[in-house]
Amino acid sequence: MWGDPLLIVFISVCTAFLGEGLTWILVYRTEKYQKLKVEVERQSKKLEKRKEAHGDSLDKQHKKKIEREEERLKNNNRDLSLVKMKSMFAIGFAFTALLSMFNNIFDGRVVAKLPFHPISWIQGLSHRNLPGDDFTDCSFIFLYILCTMSIRQNIQKLLGFAPSRAASQQGGALFATPPAQFK
Amino acid sequence: MTTKNRSLDGSNKTKTSESIWKKALSSDSEWPDKDEFLDVIYWMRQALGIILGLCWGILPLKGLFGLLLFVVLNAAVIYIYVSNFHNVDEEEFGGMWEITKEGFMTSFAGFLVTWTIMYTGLHGNSSL
Repeated sequence: MWGDPLLIVFISVCTAFLGEGLTWILVYRTEKYQKLKVEVERQSKKLEKRKEAHGDSLDKQHKKKIEREEERLKNNNRDLSLVKMKSMFAIGFAFTALLSMFNNIFDGRVVAKLPFHPISWIQGLSHRNLPGDDFTDCSFIFLYILCTMSIRQNIQKLLGFAPSRAASQQGGALFATPPAQFK
Repeated sequence: MTTKNRSLDGSNKTKTSESIWKKALSSDSEWPDKDEFLDVIYWMRQALGIILGLCWGILPLKGLFGLLLFVVLNAAVIYIYVSNFHNVDEEEFGGMWEITKEGFMTSFAGFLVTWTIMYTGLHGNSSL
């Protein structure tokens, strides 16, 4: 009973380390990425402080300064995503192949018993390729996704590869607002 | 020279992690670095998710009740830790919502994994 779920946790730890290792080789250790990352973090923190200090003021000069910094940060963020993108594609292909291999190995096998009834739009995933109507039966893919969700992010954080809060907050805010040229 | 620097770095790191532990475990600590406090909350949440998952699997708790109890307990523990134990002004961290959602999804996924594994291992024999 313990074998399959623990094997899936092990697989997901291995793939998380493999993914991070590959990303380190292709992206994190490159000088360009490191420079951009430091720059984005510095700018994000600066922008956050500036917004806190002058957020509500109607001073045009401050507003212009903030807008200019936002624009610079947006460009750097875009460059950072571009640097990451190439390796993400390579890793994406490798992982799709790996995943389909594991999918074939565990095809039609109930790997765990869920202690709850999943809601209908998750049942397609949690009961994928499984026989019978017992929706508490869990397929490989569902457990693997859950493991990856928790393990990968924690490993990224432990190794210090996760983006800083300031950067992701500013990045999120920037991506949420439409670019100026399309307004 | 480099080894000296490295060992200095190492001792600094252990010192900082020690002081973070001390700060996290003693009440009313000062948190000048916001990220440090949010990190403490993040890792606390992960530990809480795994511990609750183990407990829920051993008991065993089942169904929506187990899920809801986890969400409520998780939020309540963090709320009490932040506002009663450390007396932190939540507005400094972008409001209680920001603190409540810090690391929630990861902790929830970790909880589901440990809950499912424990439940399968201890109570799933008859049905698997």
